[in-house]
Amino acid sequence: MNNDFRYGFITNLPIGISVFAYGSILGMMCTQKGVEFYELLLMNFFVFAGSAQFVMVDMWGSSLDILGIVIAALMINLRYFLIGASLHPLFIHSSKKEKFKYMHLVADENWAVTMQKMKTESLSPLFLFGGGVCMLFTWSLGTTSGYIFGGFISDPAKYGLDFAFIAIFTALAFSMYKGKGDLLPWLITAVCAYFAELLIGGKFYIVIGAIMGSLSAVYFIKDEDK
Amino acid sequence: MESIDITALFIITLVAIGTYSLRISGLLFSNKFVQEGKVKIFLEYLPATLLLSLVTPAILKEGITGIIAICFIALSIYKTKSILLSLVLGVAIVALSRNFL
Repeated sequence: MNNDFRYGFITNLPIGISVFAYGSILGMMCTQKGVEFYELLLMNFFVFAGSAQFVMVDMWGSSLDILGIVIAALMINLRYFLIGASLHPLFIHSSKKEKFKYMHLVADENWAVTMQKMKTESLSPLFLFGGGVCMLFTWSLGTTSGYIFGGFISDPAKYGLDFAFIAIFTALAFSMYKGKGDLLPWLITAVCAYFAELLIGGKFYIVIGAIMGSLSAVYFIKDEDK
Repeated sequence: MESIDITALFIITLVAIGTYSLRISGLLFSNKFVQEGKVKIFLEYLPATLLLSLVTPAILKEGITGIIAICFIALSIYKTKSILLSLVLGVAIVALSRNFL
């Protein structure tokens, strides 16, 4: 069983390099926004969600809007409810204690890697957890170096660094491509996400786009295959 | 200064508790769903649709550059399967367009 932990850690290492890269961008942003180093570390360990941390740091200022920041971050993280639900098959033989223990270190990346691997291999939750520890390690390393060296790069946007987390999530999504049947649900996802963001504002668009896209997949697959 | 630090810790605590609750409740409530047929297809599509939904508005805000960068990322994933290479390519395209176009 312990092997699954190591296997998970190692399998996630390549993506960990990318996580390091965009973690360093968050670290830089922290120095510009006046986030203390210990605050960054607390976020890394206890929030452990890259995109939400980006939004929190972005909204950080000399006066802090408690409700605004908390709601924005949690709206982004609403997807973790769906992510948790999708992990049901992995935890099917697990005790409650194991579920509570391993669910904290679930990020987009190690979750996506686990879901991908689960299609062909039988894995235990330790694979997911090993990946989570790998993410925590590379994420903390990345954000810390960004924080230390942040002073040297005055304008990260000039180097397109703010685009890194968009690029990594897109690449992750594209790596899940299974065939032409995906195209229509994906297009519907994008269109719904775009208009939901435009019309509703806030961060609800993430969950709305995903639910509409996945529902359309249910509809089309039922029509074609079964 | 003192009060801002406490506010900051308060915010981090709330987001941390909220995020963990979302993670664990999704898994715990999943027992209540039927894990086959339609629900299974729905959950199978979620990883990709969630990620795409997250990034789409940001890509479109970047304009033509964003779309071109995404096309190259798609091509690079298709050809090499490397997330890292695709990331570097995407960032490089955005950086080039911001500095030279």
